[in-house]
Amino acid sequence: MTIRNKNRQPVVAGLHALPYSKDIGITERHSGALAILGALDDAGLSADDVEGLTRYVWQPTTEMEMARVTGIPNLKWFGAQDYGGGAGPPTVALACAAIELGVIDVAVVWRSRNRSSGGRPWAGQMLAEGQDQFERPFGIVRPADGIALIVRLWMKQFGWTREDFGRVAIDVRGMANRNPMAMMHHKTLDMEQYLSSRWIAEPLCLFDNCLETDGALAIVLVAAERARDLNASHRPAYVTGYALGSGPQVYAMTNYYGEQLGVSPNAYVAPELWKNTGLKPEDIDVAQIYDAFTPQVPLFFQEFGFCGEDEGADYLKSGECIPYNTSGGGLSEAYVHGFNLIVEGARQIRGDSTSQVKDPKHTVVTGGNVVPTGAMVLSKEPW
Amino acid sequence: MNAATPLPPKPVADRDTQPFWDAVAEHRLVVQRCSECGRWIWQPRPLCPDCHSPDLVWTDVGGDASVVSWTVLHPPVLTVWQDKLPFVLLLVELNDAPGVRMVGQLVDRAGTLLQTDGTSEGVDFDAPVSLRWRVDEAGQTLPAWAR
Repeated sequence: MTIRNKNRQPVVAGLHALPYSKDIGITERHSGALAILGALDDAGLSADDVEGLTRYVWQPTTEMEMARVTGIPNLKWFGAQDYGGGAGPPTVALACAAIELGVIDVAVVWRSRNRSSGGRPWAGQMLAEGQDQFERPFGIVRPADGIALIVRLWMKQFGWTREDFGRVAIDVRGMANRNPMAMMHHKTLDMEQYLSSRWIAEPLCLFDNCLETDGALAIVLVAAERARDLNASHRPAYVTGYALGSGPQVYAMTNYYGEQLGVSPNAYVAPELWKNTGLKPEDIDVAQIYDAFTPQVPLFFQEFGFCGEDEGADYLKSGECIPYNTSGGGLSEAYVHGFNLIVEGARQIRGDSTSQVKDPKHTVVTGGNVVPTGAMVLSKEPW
Repeated sequence: MNAATPLPPKPVADRDTQPFWDAVAEHRLVVQRCSECGRWIWQPRPLCPDCHSPDLVWTDVGGDASVVSWTVLHPPVLTVWQDKLPFVLLLVELNDAPGVRMVGQLVDRAGTLLQTDGTSEGVDFDAPVSLRWRVDEAGQTLPAWAR
């Protein structure tokens, strides 16, 4: 277990999400600032209180640019985490570590992304450097193209079927149908629709892929001793712990050149998360699982030990499966590089989800498991 | 070509990868092998990850491989391939270099990209494939694989 000082435990004291859309009509700089100011207001704090900002490397707005826009007077801690959708919990962890060390008391983490109106990021990338030179000229252009090759292997290794993936798409769509904020709030999905949808990159069809959304979200993290002074009307969500991981010879999105073919970076995150939090899968009441692609969900359950190492798909239909992606996730609420999963995790602990689990004590939130990534646990009670 | 002509992504070599692309231009497939410990290394790099030797030898490998996985790509991907989709993308393992897996397109025996009717052209796990040379829409030579 990691070093723990109760006064320094990071607390999610504020959160905010702008309404999701296909065209938000403002820049990511603008939407990110609104999300940050909204989260600070939710926490009962102002820009003057912010000492740290952390972001995804893929966030086009830097910490300094965001500090200028929001009028944060001095940043004592800043930095960015790489690897696309793997960066969510690691970006939160970067802020948490500084709070736990006593370097800062208040940090904001945000993600704003015009992934719908801003176009598809791969469409204009015509020069293939680094690992891309051995992949993009050959046809691995869209995220789904690279993932499809490993998904077919997982289907062979674990006996997964397309119906197993369809079940994930339908499960999270049901969550979105209860969430008025979700892009897919009004659209239902059944297995017949799933199986008859068009291919993207076989074995992945349209509904195996996440949405393309404009969105902006932020959370405010505060040291527990400072959080006690805040006059917040909502329950704090305590960060019980987190872990990052890569595994050996790792490649982002095309992780199939190493010796451990089919093993994801999450297989390395999971034991560290349980060690760092002192928890085990049975302690988790609800999960927020990075779901840019449906097969990431059964892989999560088996790699984190909720079931046997090849039983993720069976677990999902077992009746013992815990609720997951209760806002609709990346597949049906919004795709904002997984930040909506972080916010939904905190909402579950607050008791504010539209698919609220009864009195959850712990929720796990993960980053994308096809890239170097991380995971964290948010809890109702402090250390 | 004018600016409006759609082009495929262009491989940009660096000092660590240039020998691979130089060999490809001569229709030779080469993979790094550590002269100290014998490890085959892919993708290219400056040091052996096991023994840290910088003496990595670009070694000619034969063109026989087997299919590890595959996908069929459907539109839209890039404009340049719009009339060539769907096509099959393979992950193959080289017979001569155990553990070395490369991505490549499925081509006919003449090296022309195979457009499919949406099927995977009989490709299956462990199916044998052999090396062909495909010249892409920008004139770039690429290793590709035929059944």
